[in-house]
Amino acid sequence: MKLTRRNFLAWAGLGAVGAVACEGFGIREGELDIQSPVSLPEDLVRGTDNWYASLCRTCPSCEGIVIRVMEGRAKMVQGNPFYPTNRGKIHARCQGGLQALYHPDRITTPMRRSGPRGSGEFTSINWEPNGIDTLRNALRANGSSSVMITEPLRGHMALLADRFATAIGGERLGFEAIDNNTYRAAVKNVFNQDSLPDFDLEHSKFILSFGADFLSTWVSPTRFGRGYGEFRQGHGRDRGMFYQIDSRFSMTAANADKWLPVRPGWEGHLALSLAQVIVSENLQDDRVDIDALVGGDTGRQTLNTFRPEIVAPLAGLTPAMTGGDPVAFLKSLARSFAASQPSIAIGGGSAGAQSNGLFNLEAIYALNYLVGTAGKKGGVRFNPPSPWADVPSSSTAGSLEDWTRITEQIRRGQTKLLMLHGADPVHGLPDSLQLRDAIAQADDLLVVSFSPFLDDTSALADLILPDRVSMEDWGDDISEPGPGYQAVGLQQPVVNPLSELDPLSFPDVLLTMAQELGKEADLPWANFKLMLREGSDALFNLNRGSIEATTADEFWNGLLRRGGWWDEFRNGPTTVRPAEGLLKTIADNASEPSFAGIRVGSDDSLYLVPFAHNTLLDGYNGHLPWLQAAPDPLSTVTWQTWVELSDATADHLGVKEGDILRIQSSKDSIRAIAYPSPAVPPDTISIPFGQGRKHGSDYATDRNGSESSNVMDILETTTVKGTGSLAWAGTRVRVTKTGESVSISKLEGNVRAEEIGILPTEDIIKTIAPENT
Amino acid sequence: MMPSRKMVPLMVAGGVVTVIMGFIVAVLLISWFSNPPFGLGNAPSQPIAFPHTVHVAENNIQCEFCHRNVTKGEAATVPAVETCLFCHKDIDGGTVAAQEEINKVRTAFDTDTPIDWARVHRLPDHVRFIHEAHIRYFTDETIGVKYGINGEELSESPDVAQTCTICHGDVANKEVVQPKTGQSLKMGTCVDCHRVNSIPTDCTVCHK
Repeated sequence: MKLTRRNFLAWAGLGAVGAVACEGFGIREGELDIQSPVSLPEDLVRGTDNWYASLCRTCPSCEGIVIRVMEGRAKMVQGNPFYPTNRGKIHARCQGGLQALYHPDRITTPMRRSGPRGSGEFTSINWEPNGIDTLRNALRANGSSSVMITEPLRGHMALLADRFATAIGGERLGFEAIDNNTYRAAVKNVFNQDSLPDFDLEHSKFILSFGADFLSTWVSPTRFGRGYGEFRQGHGRDRGMFYQIDSRFSMTAANADKWLPVRPGWEGHLALSLAQVIVSENLQDDRVDIDALVGGDTGRQTLNTFRPEIVAPLAGLTPAMTGGDPVAFLKSLARSFAASQPSIAIGGGSAGAQSNGLFNLEAIYALNYLVGTAGKKGGVRFNPPSPWADVPSSSTAGSLEDWTRITEQIRRGQTKLLMLHGADPVHGLPDSLQLRDAIAQADDLLVVSFSPFLDDTSALADLILPDRVSMEDWGDDISEPGPGYQAVGLQQPVVNPLSELDPLSFPDVLLTMAQELGKEADLPWANFKLMLREGSDALFNLNRGSIEATTADEFWNGLLRRGGWWDEFRNGPTTVRPAEGLLKTIADNASEPSFAGIRVGSDDSLYLVPFAHNTLLDGYNGHLPWLQAAPDPLSTVTWQTWVELSDATADHLGVKEGDILRIQSSKDSIRAIAYPSPAVPPDTISIPFGQGRKHGSDYATDRNGSESSNVMDILETTTVKGTGSLAWAGTRVRVTKTGESVSISKLEGNVRAEEIGILPTEDIIKTIAPENT
Repeated sequence: MMPSRKMVPLMVAGGVVTVIMGFIVAVLLISWFSNPPFGLGNAPSQPIAFPHTVHVAENNIQCEFCHRNVTKGEAATVPAVETCLFCHKDIDGGTVAAQEEINKVRTAFDTDTPIDWARVHRLPDHVRFIHEAHIRYFTDETIGVKYGINGEELSESPDVAQTCTICHGDVANKEVVQPKTGQSLKMGTCVDCHRVNSIPTDCTVCHK
C-alpha cells in the first residue's frame, strides 16, 4: 500500500479512535483499589460468640440471664428464655451489670487505710501476707464481737455466710435500704407462708394494687411485667381491669385503668372498707367460710366501722378523684373486685412503709381470702420451701431497730470487727441514725469491706479486700418470689478479671478463713464452687426436675447450660386457711398513720413519699453510668435528684421546673430540682432514693448538691409497728425555694402534659407546647 | 530442493512471525488455563509491604482476625487501620525496613488517612461470591466427602485457614500476596467445583 497523504490521515485517524476506544475499555483508575478505613467499623465482628447462662445481680429479684462472650470478653446480657421467673425478659438494670465488669473505678487491689478514717485515703497492699493476715488476726481476736453486713442473701451464699458468722461467734445481718420486712410479715400473718408469694397476673381478671410499683421497682418487676402483658393482651382472654391505689403516680399507676391517689397511710382502711362492702352485700366467693373469716357478728360490727362513708373522707378521696361520689365509687369498686373472678389484691411499697404499714398490708392481702383466690389460679400463688433442707430460700434483712442496735454497739465499743459485703448502710440508712459518726469515731473497731467499689461505708473501712463481680464468680440463688414451684438459679463465672485487677472471691475468702481458723467442721469446702457442686449432686439425687441426667457430672453440666434447675410439679400450697376471725383481728389492730417531721396541720407541711429509683433502686447501682443515664419512665429525668410536686403546690410556692428547692424535715434538709406535674396529689411530694453518694465512683458522686441528694438524709426514724422497719413514707416536710435554678436533665423536652377539658368526654391529657401554656 | 534466493527472506520472516505468534498463543493459553507467565499476572505493588509470612506463618494470627467479615458475609474485607494498631501500638518490628512500614500504618491512623490497598483477587461485577457460604460449606463436619477446586478429594473437613488456601493458595507463606500459582479462577472453575460437590449450578446462584 502506497503511503499517500490520504492514507496517512486515514490510518492516523483510525489509530486515534482505537487508542481512545482501548482507553475507554480499560480499567479505570482506582478500580482495583480496596480501602482500609481508619477506624474499625462497629458492625464488623469476628469470631464465635458463646452464650453462658447465669444470674443477674443488679437487683434483689435475681433474674436468669445469658451473657454473650467473645474472645474472653463479656459483651451483652439477655434474658434466659428457660428461667422460670423472667422467661427471657430482663430489666434494664441487668444490662448495667456489664459495666460493673469493666468499670474504671473498680478497686484493683487490696487496700489499707492510710489517712484518717473516712478520708478516703488508701494504700495498695498484697493479698498475701498483708490483707489475709490482717483479716485472719482480726477474726481470731474479735470474731465473737464481729458483725457481718451483707446484701440480702439466699441460697448457698446465705448458708455459707450464716455458718461462718456462727462459727466465729459473730452476727450476720442482711441490709436493704427499702426492706421487705413488713411485706414479709404480712404474708406470714395472713397466709402463714415463710417465703414471698408469686402473683398469677396472667390468669387474673382484676388487679387491685395498693402502693406497689410492681411494674418498675417492687420485688420482681420483670416477672410481674411478663404476667401483666398477658393480663392485658394474652391470647384467648379479655383485657383485665387494673386499679392502682397509690399516693404517688408511679409507672405502675400510669398503666392502671384507674389511679386513686389515696392519702398516705390510709390504704389499709380502704382495703377494709372494700371488705366491709363485700361482706355486707354477701359478695364473697362461695367457698369462703365468711363467719370464720370475719369473726362472726362481732367481727361484722368491727368491720362496719370501716364503711365507705367513714373511710372515704379519711383517705382523702374527693369527687374529683373518683369521678363522682367517693362512697359510691368504693362500693362499685368492691363489687367489681368481687365479681371479676379471679381477682387479686396486692400491697407493698409506700403502703407498707408507714407506722401502720403492717396493718395496711394485712388488710390488703386479706382481701384475697374474700374473693377465694389465695393459692388459686389468677390469685396469690405460694412458693414451696427450698429443695435443700438447710439452704435458705428467703432472704432476711435487718430492721431499723436492728441497725439502731448495731450502731449503739459500735458506739459503745462492743463491736470490734465490722465486715461489709454488698451493703452500704451509711448511705442507705437515715442520716439521723448517725452510723457514719459511730464508725468514724470507734477506735477499737476494724472495718473490713469486701466491696469491689468504693461507697459511703467502704470509705470508712480500714481494710478493703475487693471481691470479684458477679460475672467473674460462682453463685446460686433461689428466686424470691419463685414461680410457684421449686426453682434454683446458678451463677457461673463467664470471664476472668482483667489483668490489671486482683480481686478474690468473697465466699472463697470466707472458706479459706474458716479452714485457717479451724472451722472445717462447719465449713468443710475448699472453695465455693465445690460447695455449689455438692448442692448440684444433692439435686441430682432427688431424681426429678428439669434436668435429665444419668450421672452427677452430666447433671452439673445441665445445670450450667440451662442456668438452673426447676421442678414444675413441686408446687407451693394451693390451700391456705385463714386464722379464725382474721378480718376482725386485723380490724382490731387498725391504726391511723402517724407522721414525724414538719407538724401536721401547718400550712406548709407536705407528705414526703420517696420511691425507689427505676434503675438505681436504693442507690445500689449508683456507680453504673448506663443506669444513671436511663431515664425515669415518667419524668424522663436522668442523673439528677428531682422532687415531684403538684402544679398547685408549684403555683403556691411560685416554683417552675428546674428551680432548686430545699426540702426540710425536723432532722435535716436536702436540695432537689423541682419537677412540677399535674399527676402529683396537692399535699404530697415525691423524691427518688438512690442519689447523693458522697464517696466512690465519679458516676455516683461527681455532682454538686443541687443535682444529687440522698433523701435518706431527711427521713425521720419512724418505725413500722410490728416489724420495727423504717417507715420511709412517714415523714412530713417543708419545701422552700433557694432562688437557684438549673436545667433539668430530662428527655421529655419542653412540651408538658396538661389535663384539659371540663366535660367528662373532654377529660383527657394532652401535651401542650410552651407557647400555648 | 534448495529454496530460491528470493524465498529465504520470506521463510525467515515467516519463521519469525510463526515463533512470535506461537509465543503469543502460548502466553494466551497459559494465561487462560493458569496464571499469566513472565510476571504479567503479578499482583500490583502495595502502599505498605505487609508480609503475611510474619503475621500468619510466624505469629499464627487467624485469617478472620483481620479479614473480619470473611466468616460472616459476602466480602472478606480488608482490616481497618485501627485493627493494625491493636498490636502495632506497641510492636515496632524487628528490622529497620519493617519499622518504616509499621510507621506508615501509624501515620495513616494518626492522620486519619485510609490506606488504599491494591486488589489482588477480583471477580467481575456480575458475579456474586459469598465468602461466608463457601467457608461454611467446607468447614461443615457433618457433610461427607468434599472436593477441592480442582476436583481433588479433601481427606477431612478443613478449618477456616485451610479453606482459604483452596482458592487463594498458601498465602501464609507468601511475602507478597499473589494469585494461587497455576490456578485458574474462571467461571469454569466455579462450575466444575460446584458440580463435583453437588452444589447447584443455576445461573442465579452466582450471577446477579
